[in-house]
Amino acid sequence: MENSNMYIISVYSENQVGLLSSISNIFTRRGINIESLTVFPSEFPGIHHFTFRAITTEKVANQLVGFIEKEVEVVRAFCFLDNATSSAEHAVLEEMLMRNKNQ
Amino acid sequence: MGQRLTGAEILLESLIAEGVDTVFGYPGGSIITVYDKMYHYSDRLRHVLVRHEQGAIHAAQGYARATGRPGVVIVTSGPGATNVITGVADAMVDSTPVIVITGQVGNAMLGTDAFQETDVVGMTGPIDKWTFQIRQAEDVATAVAKAFHIASTGRPGPVVLDFTRDAQVGLADFEYHPCTHIRSYSLPAPADEAAIEAAAQLIDEAERPFVVYGQGVVLSHAEEQLKAFLKKGGIPAASTMLGLSALPSDFPYYVGMTGMHGNIASNMMTQQCDVLIAIGMRFSDRVTGNPSTYAPRAKVIHIDVDRTEIGKIIPVDVGILGDAAEVLERLTKRIRFSFHDEWAALARRYDRVETERVTTPETAPGEGPVNMGEVVAKVAELSERRAVIVTDVGQNQLMGARYSRFCQSRSFISSGGLGTMGFGLPAAIGAKIGVPEREVCAFVGDGGIQMTLQEFGTIMQEGTPVKVVLLNNNWLGNVRQWQELFYGKRYSQTKMLNPDYSLIAQAYGIRYRCVESRADLEPALREMLAAKEPFLLDVHVREEGMVYPMVPGGRRMDEILLNKDEWYRDGE
Repeated sequence: MENSNMYIISVYSENQVGLLSSISNIFTRRGINIESLTVFPSEFPGIHHFTFRAITTEKVANQLVGFIEKEVEVVRAFCFLDNATSSAEHAVLEEMLMRNKNQ
Repeated sequence: MGQRLTGAEILLESLIAEGVDTVFGYPGGSIITVYDKMYHYSDRLRHVLVRHEQGAIHAAQGYARATGRPGVVIVTSGPGATNVITGVADAMVDSTPVIVITGQVGNAMLGTDAFQETDVVGMTGPIDKWTFQIRQAEDVATAVAKAFHIASTGRPGPVVLDFTRDAQVGLADFEYHPCTHIRSYSLPAPADEAAIEAAAQLIDEAERPFVVYGQGVVLSHAEEQLKAFLKKGGIPAASTMLGLSALPSDFPYYVGMTGMHGNIASNMMTQQCDVLIAIGMRFSDRVTGNPSTYAPRAKVIHIDVDRTEIGKIIPVDVGILGDAAEVLERLTKRIRFSFHDEWAALARRYDRVETERVTTPETAPGEGPVNMGEVVAKVAELSERRAVIVTDVGQNQLMGARYSRFCQSRSFISSGGLGTMGFGLPAAIGAKIGVPEREVCAFVGDGGIQMTLQEFGTIMQEGTPVKVVLLNNNWLGNVRQWQELFYGKRYSQTKMLNPDYSLIAQAYGIRYRCVESRADLEPALREMLAAKEPFLLDVHVREEGMVYPMVPGGRRMDEILLNKDEWYRDGE
């Protein structure tokens, strides 16, 4: 049995009604809980950035990325282990985006 | 600057611009504007009025599978939309290009529980390739163009356009530009050179190479490339159920169908091969049995256009992401001319056993009630293998797949991944409308035919000359088979009391003949195949008919039941 870990799945997509539900369905259908979810405008104009955190195996995390990228409006998706470094980077990024948005 | 038209007209003009000449549909309150405009398009767009929206989408699927062009469905909101859902899911898993246009209430009424309003975007999103809600007339042409592009490229699939009333009645300038690029949706790129090189090396080193191909070969028009590849490599090949007819049944390297009810040769050779080349197929559990015991000696090369399929079920040694035709062409150039005569000859040994133990008793029993396989084999013989075979789901499908013979591609249409009973009759209508010059013969059971029986009305109104062979055994035969084998013969809710099909045929004005004995079979089939009009042939077959060989679910593919208490033993 492969080890389960917390993974961050990072998704860049077009802004499209219904896409969040389609992506979250990809988790739901496989019985995977989404531990946290954020949605921001990304650093690229017109492109949205979703981040999902979920506990799963490396194999499944990679499969999720594949299925998410199959959604027509998804530009790119990535997954990486949610370790301290990536979490910190993530927090900084989210903070920055939030500030930009509020300005 | 284009012409100023309503959204409804733009939809119809856009369909015509995409080369659509036939749509399958059913009118209703939220799509009435489109139907009103369609009134003036009858010379350019044929509308086939079905009797239930599920019939419309299965007909569109049959049309798409027979022609290779997307099928188009137009239905209303609410129940119209929910009635097509089964077909959308079916088309998704079987990679069938279908464009579904569902009416929707006005923009201001969205989310208010208005009459016949339902969340189509939310419902179809998880089961289709793309969903889009059109809320203004300006977006119609672009949405249709994107829909055709998405449905028919890459791994094809269904697309749903939820067409609100505002978008239908609003005005916009019409100019049509086919879609060729979407920034977040990439078309298959040329396959990776290193992967092709690695695959060629594995194939050249193989002693017992084996190909299992699926519908991807048909979808990518790779039939000729596959033949060239097999000939050069001297590689025996098996088809999945949906891949059937991509190679002619008498192609020298073809060893039969793989899977739960596949041919002994293909399943035994899968387990013995040292290199397995999977082409345009997805390792369904009906193909692999227990995946951890599948092809245990093989290095696996998987060619598919869908990246998520590669390694999803069976781990691969070489994955090649790309279009089958392109990959096979390049791979054929790379591999050496080879012969594996001794290995390939194994197939004939297995075939002899299968013929003697399974096929002959099924197709030429000599006495007793008519067998299902006998009917299918007779149709193959009398139609000279030229018919498009459409099946429903169940024993009729497995027999149709096992005993039909083909001489051209796109000749086998069946609901594979979803296994939708009721698929056969409407799919046959769509196929016949798509390829009117070909004979279209549907094998259906007495269970499945009653799920979409009302489509006889469509046949009556359109005069579609499909030949429907009802394999009537008064049971839900496939479930009955499982109950007999694995559930202690507890026949829970599988015995069916049938209506008098002669009266049903009469009610719809469809020619009918009943076959109750072997002596009647051939003359009746000849009469049916000679008929120029729709025909229902009601064949009363053996009630306790079983489909063998069978690899019970979750087993190894070389654990094959020849009959209810005998396993196949290799070396016999």
